[in-house]
Amino acid sequence: MGIEEGVIAVIPIGSVVEMAPKVVAAHITSLLKINARVAAPLAHPQYALDRRRLQYDAALILKAMEKCLAPGDEKAIGVVAVDLFVPIFSFVFGEAHLGGSCAVVSTWRLERNQPGLTVSPALVLERTAKVALHELGHLYRLPHCSDPGCLMHFAGDLDHLDRTPLFFCRYCNAFWQNQLWRY
Amino acid sequence: MNNSMQIMIVDDEMIVRESLYHWLAKEGHSVATAASGPEALERLKEIPFDLLFIDIKMPGMNGLELLEQVKKAYPETIVIIITAYGSIESAVQAMKTGASEYLLKPFKPEYLSLVMEKVEQQCRLESEFRYVKGRLEKMTRFENIIGQATCMEAIFDMIPEIAQSDASILLTGETGTGKELVAKAIHAKSRRADCPFIALNCGALPDPLLEGELFGHQKGAFTGAVQNRKGYLEIVSGGTLFLDEVGEISPKMQVDLLRVLEAKTFTRIGSSQGVAADFRLITATHKDLTQAIALGDFREDFFYRINVIHLKIPPLRSRKEDIALLVEHFLAKFSQETAKKVDHVSDDALAILCAYNWPGNVRELQNAIERAVVLCKGRSLGRCDFAFLQAHADSMSSPRSLRKMEKHHIEKMLAECRWNVSRAAQAMQINRSTLYKKMRRHGISRNH
Repeated sequence: MGIEEGVIAVIPIGSVVEMAPKVVAAHITSLLKINARVAAPLAHPQYALDRRRLQYDAALILKAMEKCLAPGDEKAIGVVAVDLFVPIFSFVFGEAHLGGSCAVVSTWRLERNQPGLTVSPALVLERTAKVALHELGHLYRLPHCSDPGCLMHFAGDLDHLDRTPLFFCRYCNAFWQNQLWRY
Repeated sequence: MNNSMQIMIVDDEMIVRESLYHWLAKEGHSVATAASGPEALERLKEIPFDLLFIDIKMPGMNGLELLEQVKKAYPETIVIIITAYGSIESAVQAMKTGASEYLLKPFKPEYLSLVMEKVEQQCRLESEFRYVKGRLEKMTRFENIIGQATCMEAIFDMIPEIAQSDASILLTGETGTGKELVAKAIHAKSRRADCPFIALNCGALPDPLLEGELFGHQKGAFTGAVQNRKGYLEIVSGGTLFLDEVGEISPKMQVDLLRVLEAKTFTRIGSSQGVAADFRLITATHKDLTQAIALGDFREDFFYRINVIHLKIPPLRSRKEDIALLVEHFLAKFSQETAKKVDHVSDDALAILCAYNWPGNVRELQNAIERAVVLCKGRSLGRCDFAFLQAHADSMSSPRSLRKMEKHHIEKMLAECRWNVSRAAQAMQINRSTLYKKMRRHGISRNH
């Protein structure tokens, strides 16, 4: 299958490890055959800080990203290094709305296992790519998948995320192809 | 993909409704939101929700009050309480009132995932239970017949009595009144209940076929008889034979059957060997057999043989108090069959159903409910879902002869035009003088 038209912009937001957005873009292109580019960084999302929770509101970051979406970009994935939340959850690894234009991924929790244990940079990047691909799936209207071997399966913790392969099941893959064809 | 559910989020905070909405949508569910208890109750009237997320702290009606009302009106709906201000007291009260879970927000994402898995399993189990219960109720003997009217109570009282003997029974009643159901109930209560119940519609088969079906044939008895074949008189051995529309069978067949009933033996077509006949005969007809006897269409001796016990099944219009019960029964049946949660009939609709004459009796009512459920878009059937009954009643009551139809139409148009003959003639696209002539011919005048 050839490279599909349309660009996914991977946007570093605030201070983020340089490799992270590059790895995300590379995985999008290789797995999904879609063009992906690392866009110019956005400022640190101070506006999204919840001082009571000391976490950053993912919904506010998404709203800000939507305003900055470049004309040629079909979808955008933001990469931040701060702890994200949505009102009902204590934290999220990433956030996207079904069929939305923007998603955001946080490396903050992906860099931490049990307290005191360090995580290798390679594992952090792999985790980031998985979360980013999962959230990108939501942008193309893929819901959660019941197959634990699929990237669209909901992974609520790091163990689960690490067990998930970098792979979409055949049903989600077929759904992807159909969605990409529509776009 | 998980099984999709209809979910409603009830929370006065928009950001909570939105974030839960987005997550549940990603899970593949159909999600609605409501900002208050009253709004949630209004939405519940329109759509059957499988699951509700209810916040406790809301202005006006709080979450626990809403929970109580939901559980009272829609007990099968699963409710999960979510709150940022948890207390043991409210948790206990919520669970006692019927909540399935009590979640303190914010919660860990995987916790909600586990809760949803549990809820989906609960929904699946409840659905399976309803299905199995429905099947069991179908199989339960005698309770297939629904009715509380006095005339039906009399039939229910008679059935166990007449079931005990082997006397032939004649069931009479209009088409669609449930004669076969009554026959099955009699069989189920009899000592022959463990043996076959065979029903045959005599009106549906021409005589030669009916003979072959009942008596069977030997190999070579006629062209096409390539092997021996048992007839129903043999297959039913020990059980009950139900002959529906017995008024349709030919005099020759009546003689043959009479011989079987008297001698208790029969022979297959093409055979000379007698076979013992051991069955209980129940017959049914919508015809007036005494009139058929008078006309020479039905044998009197056969009539007396099949009419040892006579049971008349009343038409539905004679037991209108049973319509509500029947509607409830058919609504549950077709909701299950169509997997649509239609569980309520409005008072207006019920009034239409009770006013209608039901020429097709219970069968027609069943069809009407099935049609309404299949075409219904919400959870409740209203008068518009039965508008076709009104149209049918109008067409049944309108005159059949051309002359009467013309008179009926002229009277209708004059009434619509308030007896302005010129306007009526214009509407009917005829001359005023022509209309006057027709009015004279039919004897139509304003004072009539």
